[in-house]
Amino acid sequence: MKNSRLWIAAAAAVFMAAVVWCVIILNKPEEETVTISQDGQILYTLDLSKESDRTITVEYEGRKNVIEIKEGRIHMLEADCPDHTCINTGWLEDLPIVCLPNKLVIEFVYKDSADGAAR
Amino acid sequence: MNAKRLAQLGLLTTISLIIFIIELRIPNIAPIPGMKLGLANIVTVYAVYRCTAKETALILFTRIIFGSIFAGSMLTLFFSLGGGILCLLGMLLLKRAIDVKHIWVCSILGAVLHNIGQIAVAAVVMRTAAVISYLPFLLISGCAAGLFTGICAQILVARIDLKDL
Repeated sequence: MKNSRLWIAAAAAVFMAAVVWCVIILNKPEEETVTISQDGQILYTLDLSKESDRTITVEYEGRKNVIEIKEGRIHMLEADCPDHTCINTGWLEDLPIVCLPNKLVIEFVYKDSADGAAR
Repeated sequence: MNAKRLAQLGLLTTISLIIFIIELRIPNIAPIPGMKLGLANIVTVYAVYRCTAKETALILFTRIIFGSIFAGSMLTLFFSLGGGILCLLGMLLLKRAIDVKHIWVCSILGAVLHNIGQIAVAAVVMRTAAVISYLPFLLISGCAAGLFTGICAQILVARIDLKDL
């Protein structure tokens, strides 16, 4: 019984920590610089405020992803993976856009984490 | 392992596979990769408390391997295995500290370990730390799903003993 109480507290602590962590991630300031990387290698580094509207096609082992930049925002337009999670993520905001099957990641570059925390 | 025991374990594995396949039909509520109800783990949690460690591992790994084949995605096999192994080891240890009236706690912590294992494998496979920002969201859904599967398993453990079958 005593032991179980301890573990209930542990579970509650994990849950609270996850909630706080989520709030921190969702409150990160938006950045201008975006990287598109595949298999750990950065393919593109883009400044969204200076980019004109265009699409980028990235191929991986015969499969392809189409990334669209529009009005200073970026999202996955097309992907030939079965789950389409990356498309459903929508425009890049707080969470990186991840295509697991094609190992593709679109994420903001946070200049300085200390700077972000101070804001 | 006698024939009766083998049949019981086969039955448990089949039940968890059926739950897994039905769950594939439920659309994702949020665009978070890896977020899932994990209802098939009702059987895993039941097995942790009612079978030996070896038997539970057999049920779990058979489910994961066949589940990935039926789901048609070999990539998910690695994520499920990473999460599954960590979750199983954690729950087998927690079983010693948590009694049968608090199985739901064991299940929640198992789900948390599963999420951590999944994200760790994803970070290695994708060679990026970016996926870690998904972890807190997975943890929240994992706690909720773990609580539900844990309560289901707790009811089953209280009512069904394999020795009576």
